Amino acid sequence: MNIEKAIDLLSNGESDERMSGFIKYYANKLWAEYNEYLMNEIVVIENKVKELPIVIPNASIRKPYNAIVSIPCEEMTDITLSGLTEEVQGLKIEKQEDGKSFKISGTPKESGTFDVTLRYKYHGLSVERPYLERMLQIIINPDPRDLWKDIPVPEDMEYPKDNTAKEYVKVAALSDGTPQKDIVAASKRGRSHAQEGKPRDDDFRLYHDEKTNWYVIAVSDGAGSAPYSREGSRIACNVAVEHCKEQLADSENFDDDINLYHLDQKSEAAGKAISADIYKIVGNAALKAHKAIAAEAQQKGRKTKEYSTTLLLAICKKYDFGWFVASFWVGDGAICLYNQADKTAMMLGMPDEGEYAGQTRFLTMPEIFSDSNKFYQRMNCRIVPDFTALFLMTDGVSDPKFETDANLKSYDKWNELWADLKENGVELTDDNEEAANQLLNWLDFWSPGNHDDRTIAILY
Amino acid sequence: MRHLPVYILIDTSGSMKGEPIESVKVGLSDMIATLRQDPYALETVCISIITFDREVNQILPLTELADLQIPNIITPDSGPTFLGKALEMLCNRIEVEVQKGTPEQKGDWRPLLFVLTDGKPSDIQVYENIIPKVKNKNFASIIACAAGPKAKIEPLKKLTDQVFTLDTMDATSFKKFFVWVSDVIGVGGKSVGTTDSLELPGPPAEVNIVI
Repeated sequence: MNIEKAIDLLSNGESDERMSGFIKYYANKLWAEYNEYLMNEIVVIENKVKELPIVIPNASIRKPYNAIVSIPCEEMTDITLSGLTEEVQGLKIEKQEDGKSFKISGTPKESGTFDVTLRYKYHGLSVERPYLERMLQIIINPDPRDLWKDIPVPEDMEYPKDNTAKEYVKVAALSDGTPQKDIVAASKRGRSHAQEGKPRDDDFRLYHDEKTNWYVIAVSDGAGSAPYSREGSRIACNVAVEHCKEQLADSENFDDDINLYHLDQKSEAAGKAISADIYKIVGNAALKAHKAIAAEAQQKGRKTKEYSTTLLLAICKKYDFGWFVASFWVGDGAICLYNQADKTAMMLGMPDEGEYAGQTRFLTMPEIFSDSNKFYQRMNCRIVPDFTALFLMTDGVSDPKFETDANLKSYDKWNELWADLKENGVELTDDNEEAANQLLNWLDFWSPGNHDDRTIAILY
Repeated sequence: MRHLPVYILIDTSGSMKGEPIESVKVGLSDMIATLRQDPYALETVCISIITFDREVNQILPLTELADLQIPNIITPDSGPTFLGKALEMLCNRIEVEVQKGTPEQKGDWRPLLFVLTDGKPSDIQVYENIIPKVKNKNFASIIACAAGPKAKIEPLKKLTDQVFTLDTMDATSFKKFFVWVSDVIGVGGKSVGTTDSLELPGPPAEVNIVI
């Protein structure tokens, strides 16, 4: 059959006009079908490309970045990757020799999520097509340091407390020039508190008795989860130090017991006498503080645990034969007697810690006092010839600086802390009252994930 | 470096296919973007996502926020809801991924668990057996969300007191839910030093509290 005959058959004897309408109608219909087929082909390809595991690792602002992004697909050709520039993001994209991978490098200067366009041709399509695209994204993390806010606490807050505190207790050198140990302490609201306009929950209190030469130091950390812990910590420090102050104002008997213990070669009888003294002074200080907090809570019609706080308390005095130190400790943080001369770091107890971080014990828990055996274990006493420094600190400092219990027992770590203080502007020299400011500034150190209130007291 | 581990269990059974799961994905990625703007979260939060249908998959191992990219979430056309198996996997993964405190290593913060389902566990025996183990894991908080009209509250009540419902499974509800989840995570990171359960921030109007 020739073509003319075929057309005759197809026209079915109709007029030319009708015949041309017929052809136009079916041509359009068939073209539409064909175009749809081609579109579907593209959708199938695009979906396939969408499923390809193409990973652009996250970047972080101001941190040098270098990543290779591979396109694992043989059929893709003429691939380009675009959307990042050194001017805007600080990143550039370079095609690698294989034509299938790209190097993204640079130092990001802006944070956010940015689109990256993958353009390609696909080999094996029915007809040649313009470029196809897949949108990818690169995440540039902000620097947490840029995100912290310093929001003031509400002005009408109950139990107001300053965001920082510092103190220097200067015990002037003797007339012959012999230096006397001083106490310096600083406390600062943590970034995590500042971020939410919450107050500082830590506290401290220092005391030196001019007459008897006793030093008393208390440091406490109000629980972040307890709404009035800032007052709990304040009461704890104040009441504990006040009690010690009263007890030590006339310390002749205690001095006698300590001297006897030394002369008596640490006999059991003298040991018992000292134990009783420590219980009366340090142990009762803790109990009184506990009761004072409970009374405050009751008066306000609140639960004692709303005032949850830790307490680290130390009393200290120099004798002819050396230094006597006694302590009470409930909760986390650290109390340590650090001595460079014999390279020792003696922890006066260990922090109360649970299976997970943040689980500790508080002075406000009645069970602290109900088990007398365990209560005794919270008290410690040492007699040492001399020491470089006695540290008391809350976990806002001990966590970032020591991290683990094992490190707390390590002399090297305490030595590092001593050097860290010195290298970062804290001049712990005799009678340097400026050290209080220096120590407060030092508390600003950066440590990822550690932004709790920070308090440290040093007797040196 | 201590982390705040956050485990998110997402129902991917057939009924979640379509708008619900798409809304969950949007909600999740908004949540991650929000958390990235929180300096404390950015330094401490780690997130893991476990999906459950007839299969249980940890589609995202516990990953720091800075490195996190949300993987694709796929739902089969139909099939059972193996929430019990998902909790089993959760218990196993926690053993491996969450650092407990030891003398040599500081422990992570107590983990948070979010469970999102639009139905009820099909593997009820496994589910009931695993619940005591989950409770033993010492989560700071377990929050269960029953989404849509077919979600059953009773089984979830056995897992936790913190059961919430979403009336509808549209984009708005899930978005609000995940905004609230990011608030909870924020609080979790800051409630330092507690042995009690977290005090949750008040949920938005779309999230109903089951008493």
